[in-house]
Amino acid sequence: MLIGIDVGGTYTDGVLFDNLQSQVVKVVKVPTRSEQLQSSLMDVLDRLLSDQDMKGIQRIVLSTTLVTNLLATNAAEPPALILIPGPGLPFEYQLTFPHSYIVKGSIDFRGRETEKLNRQEIEGVIETIRASGLKKIAVVGKFSNRNPQHEHTVRDIITAKFPEAEVGIGSELAGQLNFIRRIATSYYSLMTRKRWTTFAHDIEQAMQKRGLDNVPLDILKADGGTMPLQHALQYPCETILSGPAASTMGAKAITGQNANAVVLDIGGTTTDISLLLDGQPLYASRGASINGQYTHIKAISTRSLPLGGDSPVCFDPQKGIYIEKIRKGPAACFGGGNATVTDIFNCKYDLHIGDADKSRQFVQQLQVESGVALPELIDLVEDNVMQQLMDALRNIFTEWENEPAYRVWEVVHDRKFKVKRIIGIGAAASAIVPVLAALYKVNSFIHELSPIANALGAALARPTLAFNMHIDTQKGTYFTDYDGICGNLDKGSSLQMVDAHKLAREVMQKLAEQRGLAEYADEAEFIREEQFNMIRDWDRIGKIFELGMQIKPGFIKEFEEGSI
Amino acid sequence: MKNTGVIFFPAFDWAISPTHPEREERLLYTRDQIFEEGIMDLPNIHEFKPRLAQKKDIARVHFCVPNVEAQITDAHLVSAGSALVIADAVMNGEVDNGFSIARPPGHHAMTVAHGNRGFCNINNEAIMIEYIRKKYGIRKIAVVDTDVHHGDGSQEIFYDDPDILFISFHQDGRTLYPGSGFVYELGGPMAWGSTINIPLLPETTDEGILRVLDHLVLPVLKEFEPELIVNSAGQDNHYTDPLANMRFTAHGYAELNRRLAPDIAVLEGGYSVETALPYVNMALLMAMAGIDYSNLREPDYKPERFKENPRNIEYIDQLVSHQLFNFRSRQQHIEENRQKYGREFSEQRNIYYDTDGISEDQSRRLRVCRACPGWRRIDSSARHRTGKMYHVFCISVPTFACPDCQKEAMDAYKDMAAYQNNFDFVYLQDRANDRYIALDVAKGREEVYE
Repeated sequence: MLIGIDVGGTYTDGVLFDNLQSQVVKVVKVPTRSEQLQSSLMDVLDRLLSDQDMKGIQRIVLSTTLVTNLLATNAAEPPALILIPGPGLPFEYQLTFPHSYIVKGSIDFRGRETEKLNRQEIEGVIETIRASGLKKIAVVGKFSNRNPQHEHTVRDIITAKFPEAEVGIGSELAGQLNFIRRIATSYYSLMTRKRWTTFAHDIEQAMQKRGLDNVPLDILKADGGTMPLQHALQYPCETILSGPAASTMGAKAITGQNANAVVLDIGGTTTDISLLLDGQPLYASRGASINGQYTHIKAISTRSLPLGGDSPVCFDPQKGIYIEKIRKGPAACFGGGNATVTDIFNCKYDLHIGDADKSRQFVQQLQVESGVALPELIDLVEDNVMQQLMDALRNIFTEWENEPAYRVWEVVHDRKFKVKRIIGIGAAASAIVPVLAALYKVNSFIHELSPIANALGAALARPTLAFNMHIDTQKGTYFTDYDGICGNLDKGSSLQMVDAHKLAREVMQKLAEQRGLAEYADEAEFIREEQFNMIRDWDRIGKIFELGMQIKPGFIKEFEEGSI
Repeated sequence: MKNTGVIFFPAFDWAISPTHPEREERLLYTRDQIFEEGIMDLPNIHEFKPRLAQKKDIARVHFCVPNVEAQITDAHLVSAGSALVIADAVMNGEVDNGFSIARPPGHHAMTVAHGNRGFCNINNEAIMIEYIRKKYGIRKIAVVDTDVHHGDGSQEIFYDDPDILFISFHQDGRTLYPGSGFVYELGGPMAWGSTINIPLLPETTDEGILRVLDHLVLPVLKEFEPELIVNSAGQDNHYTDPLANMRFTAHGYAELNRRLAPDIAVLEGGYSVETALPYVNMALLMAMAGIDYSNLREPDYKPERFKENPRNIEYIDQLVSHQLFNFRSRQQHIEENRQKYGREFSEQRNIYYDTDGISEDQSRRLRVCRACPGWRRIDSSARHRTGKMYHVFCISVPTFACPDCQKEAMDAYKDMAAYQNNFDFVYLQDRANDRYIALDVAKGREEVYE
């Protein structure tokens, strides 16, 4: 038995899935109490478990908005930032957050020190931070991913001078290229880490109380993969946007096909759109964005439209018939007090959703108000909905097609998103998605499990792990952008691509073992590999290798894809 | 602050040869620097995706022998295409200006292309400029070539075009490849004065180059009133470049671009891959986007190391006044040339392709016309690397050709096609009608790029 729970903004969904029979055994939905996420979560868990044998539970996965809420409300205590930018863009571009302090020192792209740190200056900054009352400090240097020595030194000084401070360093929190995103990621990670730790601790206790302490508990990440709760302590920000990630993985699970597809999650007030490329979720090219700041957090690319099944259809003498962006209540067919998008589709296609007479009644009322004939009115609204969706899809496709390319073959083999099917999930999908699919002349796919695809996606998602490795044979070093893992090479300039692969595999194996996902390490694949001869004065003095390795999003071994 | 379009195309899968300066590694550290800085995330920086230039775009500028396919790889199409994407973004007003950081470079490639010269097969700027003229109908464009090597390809392509102002400053041709770009190279008889060369002494610093900019380049641009300014942006004036001997810094490059304010910059040479390119490319990008670059410098930069020699300042001042005088008397010279040459101007020349070791003989004839820049004929022969000898005849009609010149050129092509001749290929480059024909004489087959 597998359990998936998605704590969303409005509802908390839970599902109990029997992986042997490949069927959903139980579904629970309760309204989320945002001030008490744990209680909503535990409420759902208890209901799922009410008549179950605990021994049969193999795994629990949570997707939660806790960190999202913390970030949105700025409710957590902010960290101070000690930044080591060196030459380049003006410092103002790096001073995005309050309590930022810039200190001397610089590292270049090969990891060479080009300016030394000034110990006195750093000690002064630490004193200022202590005096300001802040107790968290993020230390972030430009090119610290190529040489973290400066960050380490500053951390050591903080530990010596201000031992009570909680310190995080950029090379360990966000090692990918892009200093500004590293600053933002480090800042938000440190900001939310403590609260997340408390939350995790509470959850662990609650599990213990229920006799579930031996059941693996995983957290869903923004990239559609999971990580063990313990590991999530280090990377709280990876849990943001896990709601849309859960839905996308759920959609993938119920379709069981690796084709190009659009996933439309049409809820009451919004529609979330994501893409599956040959069955793989498309990532946001610049990482997840938090409060308008790009970060290094890998996230499934989702676009949200203020359009849902409950969007009210209104009349105004000036505007005519239009769709309101703000929800006023449920659709008329579910007892609401005004005509909505769902009611329109209900009338046009005789969908028998809820109380269909109510739909008709309110739409007719709109007809009287506006003086627009009924068929015309219905078509007007339908066209408007389709237009909004198609515009959004066209934008998403073009954006993906126009992503920059750095290699000749990428430009020669120009990419084109050809949609093969449209997967509808969410309450209002069944009314809208078939019409949209017909316009694209593709199949629509709506499954009876669509409404709980999010919880199902969480339950079935497997762990993911990805890192980039930068190898410099002239310096005899390698660096990864994960946890600050780095080291020296056994082989010097004789290192070849096969050796580089081997090294990356070893790192992957070790990481996977540490994180309890050794069984997936074999499935890690290289998603990027480049090698550069370093030539000086017409002689080769070394090589640079750039590798990217990933256990990509997918499903746990206990679940057979396509079996639902 | 300006909205700046950027294409960063390092061609990580393309090299002339594994140890050649024009190799995969060239923009690796520039990639590191640009992406680590996070400059692409700024709201006023817009990164574009490259595209492939069409063969027609290339045929609009070059006579590729025997055909376009033979002279290019896909990388060339992408590099030229990158300039076109930036051109479109600027011309459509999507961005205020744009920078194509793409390789391979192009400014040594000339009208007739038998092979690779100075790491270039096709001329990215020229292809972009003729594309812009055709698509957007603008006529007067200025190219400022800031590469340390003389932009002999661009100069040759626009030599007879009075509407293209070509200005190149470079290390003196007596001390550096390609050995041209002297003050007396001022343009063809009907475009005299719209080519301005500024050969600089080795070791010239920021101060010297900016002096040339302020006292010669900027005044000349002001008087010429171009509709568009293009920076043919080589980065090998840098003090660490391994192939040249100048003393220009990243800060100097930024300053130059701020003052020049080009609409479009296209990367050319620059082979100090670690110590110059990451900083110079950042400098250019920041200057174009209107970002303060006072915090940008090379790790070993010390201002006191870059003092200009007073004797060099004297030399520069003489050079400046000499070329200003030439530029300002251009109308008078053109009028005299018209009297002197009557209907036709002809010349012979030999062109050497250093990379491929090809020696090309040309005989050129320009129709001297009152109404337009006049059509051209080039009779060219060269032995290719394959050992095969090619003898070709090229007819070129300028974009703004008068009807008489168009007709004469067309008749000349028809004559060549109708009667037996001893050429391997006859080409018609009809820019006025945007039609490009390659006639394989032996097979009697025409290939048309439309």
